[in-house]
Amino acid sequence: MMLARVADSLYWIGRYVERAEHMCRLSDVMLNATLDRTEAATQVARIALAAVGDPDSERVSAPYEAATALVLDREDPGSIVSSLARARENARQVRDQITTETWERLNFVFLRMTSPEAHKAFAGGSSVFLHETIADLHLFRGAADATMSHGEGWRFLLLGMYLERAQLGARLLEVCFGDTHRPALSDHFALTSVLRMGCALEPYLRAYTADIQPRLILRFLLLDEDFPRSLRFSTAQIEEHLSSLTKYLAVSADVSPERLAGRLRARMQYADMHEIEAQGAGAFLATIGDECAAIHHALHEAFVAYPLELRLPA
Amino acid sequence: MELSVATAQRSDKSLIPIEDLAPTPYDEMTAADGAVRPHYAALAQRLAALGGADLAERQRTLERFFLLQGITFTVYGAESSTERIIPTDLLPRIIPSDEWARIESGLTQRLRALNMFLADIYGDQQILMDGVVPRELVLCAPSYRREMQNLYVPHQAYANVCGSDLIRQPDGAFAVLEDNLRVPSGVSYMLANREASKRTFPGTFRGAGVRSIDRYPDLLLATLKSMAADWRPNPQVVVLTPGVYNSAYYEHAYLARLMGVPLVEGRDLVVHENMVYMRTTTGLRRVDIIYRRVDDDFIDPLTFRRDSSLGVAGLFNAYRGGNVVICNAPGTGVADDKAVYAYVPEIIRYYLGEDAILPNIETYLCREPAQLSHVLANLDKLVVKAVGASGGYGMLVGPHSTQAERDAFAEVVKADPANYIAQPTINLSTAPCLIDGEIDARHVDLRPFILCGDKIVVTPGALTRVALRKGSLVVNSSQGGGSKDTWVLADAKEQRP
Repeated sequence: MMLARVADSLYWIGRYVERAEHMCRLSDVMLNATLDRTEAATQVARIALAAVGDPDSERVSAPYEAATALVLDREDPGSIVSSLARARENARQVRDQITTETWERLNFVFLRMTSPEAHKAFAGGSSVFLHETIADLHLFRGAADATMSHGEGWRFLLLGMYLERAQLGARLLEVCFGDTHRPALSDHFALTSVLRMGCALEPYLRAYTADIQPRLILRFLLLDEDFPRSLRFSTAQIEEHLSSLTKYLAVSADVSPERLAGRLRARMQYADMHEIEAQGAGAFLATIGDECAAIHHALHEAFVAYPLELRLPA
Repeated sequence: MELSVATAQRSDKSLIPIEDLAPTPYDEMTAADGAVRPHYAALAQRLAALGGADLAERQRTLERFFLLQGITFTVYGAESSTERIIPTDLLPRIIPSDEWARIESGLTQRLRALNMFLADIYGDQQILMDGVVPRELVLCAPSYRREMQNLYVPHQAYANVCGSDLIRQPDGAFAVLEDNLRVPSGVSYMLANREASKRTFPGTFRGAGVRSIDRYPDLLLATLKSMAADWRPNPQVVVLTPGVYNSAYYEHAYLARLMGVPLVEGRDLVVHENMVYMRTTTGLRRVDIIYRRVDDDFIDPLTFRRDSSLGVAGLFNAYRGGNVVICNAPGTGVADDKAVYAYVPEIIRYYLGEDAILPNIETYLCREPAQLSHVLANLDKLVVKAVGASGGYGMLVGPHSTQAERDAFAEVVKADPANYIAQPTINLSTAPCLIDGEIDARHVDLRPFILCGDKIVVTPGALTRVALRKGSLVVNSSQGGGSKDTWVLADAKEQRP
């Protein structure tokens, strides 16, 4: 049993933290690419900016400025600092529900990102800055895992993380492999950059050796059983946390989020690489994105914004 | 009302040196002859051993601890409000056991009498009929709640949580400056300061025999639960906060977390058939006891202020129906009204037949014509306060004001004399503080916390508020005040070897 508002906040903390981490990684890969070769760097910047939903092609030619805005622009609601500010604001609203250890980690990342020195630190070494931010966010997850009760609240937090992860992952893959009209991504450097954006380079190498192929990358990021950022893994987690949460629900909602999550999990569980290729990866990935969005809405309806008339005490 | 704010925020230079007011104020650490008081000996020794740089480093560690924990409050400004760490001073203020014993018995006596007073005026009003307190003073006070008349309150405990402000008089004896019976705050700073000073002075702390305050959260929970009806054996307690933008939000979340109860906002609660429920993920759940940190005016738009969005529609009716308990009870503010304050010694005598153990500060009621003219003639020596205001707003500190400010304030007072009281400017005692790496004396007061349910408990500790600007007498956190840990020492017999 927990307050509906609190559950909603925890869910959003999970989403914002995941989003911030993903965008840190994208920015870092994009900026690193500029150090190497120019034509591949443009391709990587295009992928990264498209994956964060920035269709403005002009920014591709100025990746450093684009990354600075992406990281530190407080006016932009989609920036990393804005995501962290919202995660922290939500955490403040449920300060009584998260442990001090967990709160401290998140507050620390926020204070660092909003301090007057942040701009200087970013300019002085963007890679170090972003790397540290990602490491701090990992500490936040670790603190939550190690100190919070693994009950309802914790599950809402993780549900937010995995839903966000699945949506962002699907979006990244769609940008890279979804458009069949374009020439397929083939440049070795661009392909490894995609793996880096998914935090997947090392696990991929262990699975498929240094044989970097678009088809294998798609397969790994979509269907790997054990890699925690693959879509199959994320959707399995979504289903697990949701079914654990709905067992406390006294009444079944009209559109049960659990049913949607179960269907999505099955879709990923029994997906076949040949079928996906035949159907076109773009359509498949778009379906996943839509189903994640549907789960998000159903979740809100079932746990947070339910009509009071349905839940009055007997 | 702007006057006083301007007065309080003037720079050090414009203040009249405190020596003009009175001889050297009572110092907590050093006696008039320059000798260190015995209960401060160990700390003084430790301070002498530590250099200024070392202390400054410890102060930084302390501030970092507060920042990371999010121990902040919100300052309301004209245009924006900002989140700040409450300035915290490293050096503890120490109170010996014999002085504390007197404070404890004095506060217990006072709260018992004030709760009897509340039960009386919201019941038969015997004290008004006997003419001990003027009838119109009580019934016309803005904090008097007609809606509370003839309502059953368990144990007659109207004020369950009380935070009284004590100050030292020139002779060193403690007196009560103010009773806070509405929604007193600051207890989380008391607890956080203790955490901090344990980290900063572990050695000195261990040897000093400081009484523990760790039990405050569970004593608070027990107090709240003792207010539940007998037929609700496992009552659901919640803390009601105005929300994350309230200046004391940190404290609300802190207390909820340490009591292990939900922290709710008005929008989380619904009233259905005179019962109060909270919206949970799995449906509605009954609420029995609300420790509200929302002012009377805002708890129920149907009964009190209609424009309040912080409260719960129908809450007061559920309370009247006995289906939920609100702590502190609505209407307790009438007993800490600054005009009623002047009558507290009489109130104690009336109900308990005893003399007040802790005296009042001499108070002039501007509602009385003779006292008003005395006040107006002596504005430069007095502190004038609005009866309804708190937090250091709406007051004039005479000796620290200019003639123009006094003239303007006199007009304000003459326009509505019943709304003002005046007290002599008390030169608050001083305690050593760490200011820019140097140890220097600053004025302090003392706010202990008293719980009252089926019994009265005084927590052996307090919030010591500090006026961080040199010479300033205003300790409110909204006006540039800070706080420090307060060590109440155990009786020598009880001390560990």
